[in-house]
Amino acid sequence: MASKWKELTKGIISENPTYVQVLGMCPTLATTTNAENAFGMGIAATIVLIMSNVVISAIRKTVPEKVRMPIFITVIATLVTIIDLLMHAYTYDLWKTLGLFIPLITVNCIIMGRAEAYASKNGIFDSFLDGLGMGIGFTLGLVLLGSIRELLGNGTIFGIEVWGNAFNMFAMILPPGAFLTLGLLSAFFASISIRKSDKAKKMASQQQAQKAGEQR
Amino acid sequence: MNKEMLKTSLILMIYTLAAGIALSLVYTITEDKIGNAELENTITAMKYVLTDGNGNQVISSEEIEKTVSEKSSEMGNVLYTDNIGTINSPVYEFASGETKYYVVTGYAPGYGGNVITMASFKYENGELSLYAIKVLDYSQETPGLGAKIADENIQKRFYPIPENGLRNGIKVDKDAGKQALNPEDAKSQGVVKVSDVMTGATITPRAVSNSLNAMYNYLKKEYLQGGAN
Repeated sequence: MASKWKELTKGIISENPTYVQVLGMCPTLATTTNAENAFGMGIAATIVLIMSNVVISAIRKTVPEKVRMPIFITVIATLVTIIDLLMHAYTYDLWKTLGLFIPLITVNCIIMGRAEAYASKNGIFDSFLDGLGMGIGFTLGLVLLGSIRELLGNGTIFGIEVWGNAFNMFAMILPPGAFLTLGLLSAFFASISIRKSDKAKKMASQQQAQKAGEQR
Repeated sequence: MNKEMLKTSLILMIYTLAAGIALSLVYTITEDKIGNAELENTITAMKYVLTDGNGNQVISSEEIEKTVSEKSSEMGNVLYTDNIGTINSPVYEFASGETKYYVVTGYAPGYGGNVITMASFKYENGELSLYAIKVLDYSQETPGLGAKIADENIQKRFYPIPENGLRNGIKVDKDAGKQALNPEDAKSQGVVKVSDVMTGATITPRAVSNSLNAMYNYLKKEYLQGGAN
């Protein structure tokens, strides 16, 4: 059970697709102009990611090594198109809001990356958990970036007024804001993992020293 | 080697074939639904642009629905373009007594893509004026800047504009060099005052103005000349 839990949570922090794996940068930079768009992109990508992971895991034994890439791409593109058509037909308003992002998902390298690195080598349930976890990690990453940009650029988060027009930098909503925020957040996440590994090293060397002392 | 190649290509073919069949199935199932959803959307927007200042529809819902359904096959076809703005709908014509209303949908390039606008024009006593607009798609505009066009109060800065204003072409106040005007005086001169409510974003309102100009030009120079009046 613990391993299943780990399968789900690894995508959220330790293997976060946006800040740690640095995957899917194109939609990350393009759709995080505000928190709502970021959330929409995250959810749409999560649904496709789960479905593609499950399907690819189910067919993995019938796929020849040499043509796995074209087959994975076909599966992903088909899923995305089906979702696009179904949403257009049955959830028109939602499609209007997310419509822009759905075709973008086909070329989101997180989907391809997880298909290649995980789903093609693991069982269906594990792949489902992997897709869900990575999707949540991606969504949280995007929402964090989108919220910061929206707050600094427009004074709101999810359209809710925080400080109104008191402090607005238009640049934060424009592309430079995306690069600046992404860079700073990546540095922040990297510093956390560096501190963690430093701590682990220190602990290990202390333990070694203790052991050596005891032996003497 | 040859055998393996054949096997591999066969598997690939089966997968692409299955994908093709799945897609065509879903497409067949959703085709009508998608058409209906688009139609619903057009009807809702049209009711909005045919509503007067007091919130009453100038044309009944039944008549709007009937007219839109009748012309549904022409939806999305390019009717006219002046290379800046483009009309991509038929002209929906309504009459209320002596007054006629023409509703058209058009687009012009904004900051990130096309900004799509539906507009109603009123034809009364030989004068064609802009009655109301609704911006239908601004999804590629920058949030906080161009996407502020979503605000109804900002869209109201675009209408009503009398024929005098339309004749010279609608302009955004910054382009016309008339930022000092108040919104109501500006409208009478065909100027859309947005510099106070959309600071730093002229491209999106300019796109809306461009599509409105294309609509006016078409209605005035082609549609109404064709004997429709």
